Amino acid sequence: MPREAEVSVNERAFIQQALQENIRLDGRAFDAFRPLELTFGDEYGVADVQLGKTRVIARISVDVTTPQPERKFDGIFQIITEFSPIASPAFEVGRPTDAEVILSRILEKAIRRSNALDTESLCIIAGLKCFALRADVHVIDHDGGLIDASCIAVMAALQHFRRPDVIVEGEKTTILSIREREPIPLSILHQPLCVTFSYYEDGEIFLVDANLAEEQVRQGEVIVTMNRHGEVCQIAKYGGATVEALALLNCTSIALEKVREMSKFIQGKLEEDAKKRDVGGLMAELSAENAR
Amino acid sequence: MAPEAVLSHLHRADGSATYTYNGYSIIGAVNGPIEVQRRDEMPEEATVEVNVRPAVGVGSPKERHLETLLHRTLQSIILTRSIPRTLVQITLQVRSLPADDTSTGVNTSLTLLPHLLHTSILALLSASIPLSTTLTAIPVAIPSSSKSAPLVSPTANDLLRAKPLRSIHVFAFSGDRKLLLNESDGAFSYEEWDEAYEAAEEVCCREGGVRLGEGMDVDMDVDMDGEGKVANLEAWLREVVKEKVGREQRWRVAT
Repeated sequence: MPREAEVSVNERAFIQQALQENIRLDGRAFDAFRPLELTFGDEYGVADVQLGKTRVIARISVDVTTPQPERKFDGIFQIITEFSPIASPAFEVGRPTDAEVILSRILEKAIRRSNALDTESLCIIAGLKCFALRADVHVIDHDGGLIDASCIAVMAALQHFRRPDVIVEGEKTTILSIREREPIPLSILHQPLCVTFSYYEDGEIFLVDANLAEEQVRQGEVIVTMNRHGEVCQIAKYGGATVEALALLNCTSIALEKVREMSKFIQGKLEEDAKKRDVGGLMAELSAENAR
Repeated sequence: MAPEAVLSHLHRADGSATYTYNGYSIIGAVNGPIEVQRRDEMPEEATVEVNVRPAVGVGSPKERHLETLLHRTLQSIILTRSIPRTLVQITLQVRSLPADDTSTGVNTSLTLLPHLLHTSILALLSASIPLSTTLTAIPVAIPSSSKSAPLVSPTANDLLRAKPLRSIHVFAFSGDRKLLLNESDGAFSYEEWDEAYEAAEEVCCREGGVRLGEGMDVDMDVDMDGEGKVANLEAWLREVVKEKVGREQRWRVAT
């Protein structure tokens, strides 16, 4: 398998010098995201995110299994990220690269461990039956910023997904198909989103949402996950560049601003999609959702 | 309705295609010719690698089986001897399947196979890999009631309505109308197979043959004539390639 082509010395020097002169190669401001696109599929729970040239598809699916014996009241939620050669010839099937390991670890911390999804609501009968939810993240095109794009995709797909309704009579459960009863949205407690900061020049310059060339030149990165209420879910730092503690505070305030923008964008798209599905305005009557 | 195809829309892969038809949506990417690993290197021909990735979950034996079928078929049409000691890597990502796909009761790998074949040929064309011929493929289902005609390129809904089915066949034809691949499942006689073969050939590559979409609802009085239809699948493929070449030659036309 060919390795990822490294940036040449010239290109590296060019990018670095441009950064010193406050210029990014694509003309963006240092703290600007690339244009974000979000489309939903015909089915529930499929989100297609395009961040510049990066494209990620997240897909949520559900199954019924027995819960883990040590967590009887919880459903199961898994996030699966597997890179394929579609995104870049350097990705090999069945052999995870470092980027893939970091991505799955960050998503785990950001979404699963921050309790974005209320797994207790996935329980059907304690200790016997629960929903097993899985989020498959497919990276289709890779131009940097995979973590940010995947996080947006998974959160948007989770908010878009509807699980089938169930009827419980004693030990017997019936899963109602989409035709029988309108499926129910998941109970999502908050919406964490990631913002990646790339550091250059020994931590003096930082960029938001670096593209692939900029990622290859950077000395270190700080990934901040926040929700729109300003709660920090996790901060991770990789790479050698030293980052001052005060600079992290600056990062979180920039991240909050970005996360608010993105949350608003996702919400807008979700409402647009809901309106498209709500033909004839019957959705409110069909809904089997209980008021929280 | 003819299948929809978008070519060369991914930035990192050498060639790519998205194929949408009857609720199936598949993204295909081809990287090649690229450096091959030592152990896979062959002195006189290129190595072909096929990866099928399901929409949900990781690959299972079903995907491995499809990969084997695709590998054999594609290896026979790629001119592997003209690019020796290289690798042609084909990755197919299933994006969505029809909603009723699993409830039709037929072998789902057979209904998916023709679409995978189409996606891979489109991606190979987009990557400009040397090919000896193109291919077109189609599924044919034979309902168990003896008087009904075979269903050519049925949708998942058609299959549900036609239940129970006796057998399902997949045929792939090369550009010169030779049979490239046949996979069948179920119980059938030679005559039935022959009938299915004829029907498939008609839709795939016979000139002036039945249009795609006609002949599917024989017992229903549906007027399928209209715009947006192509003579046969080969003509559709030709149309797609014509569009691609036209786009690539823009610079020449403009001057």
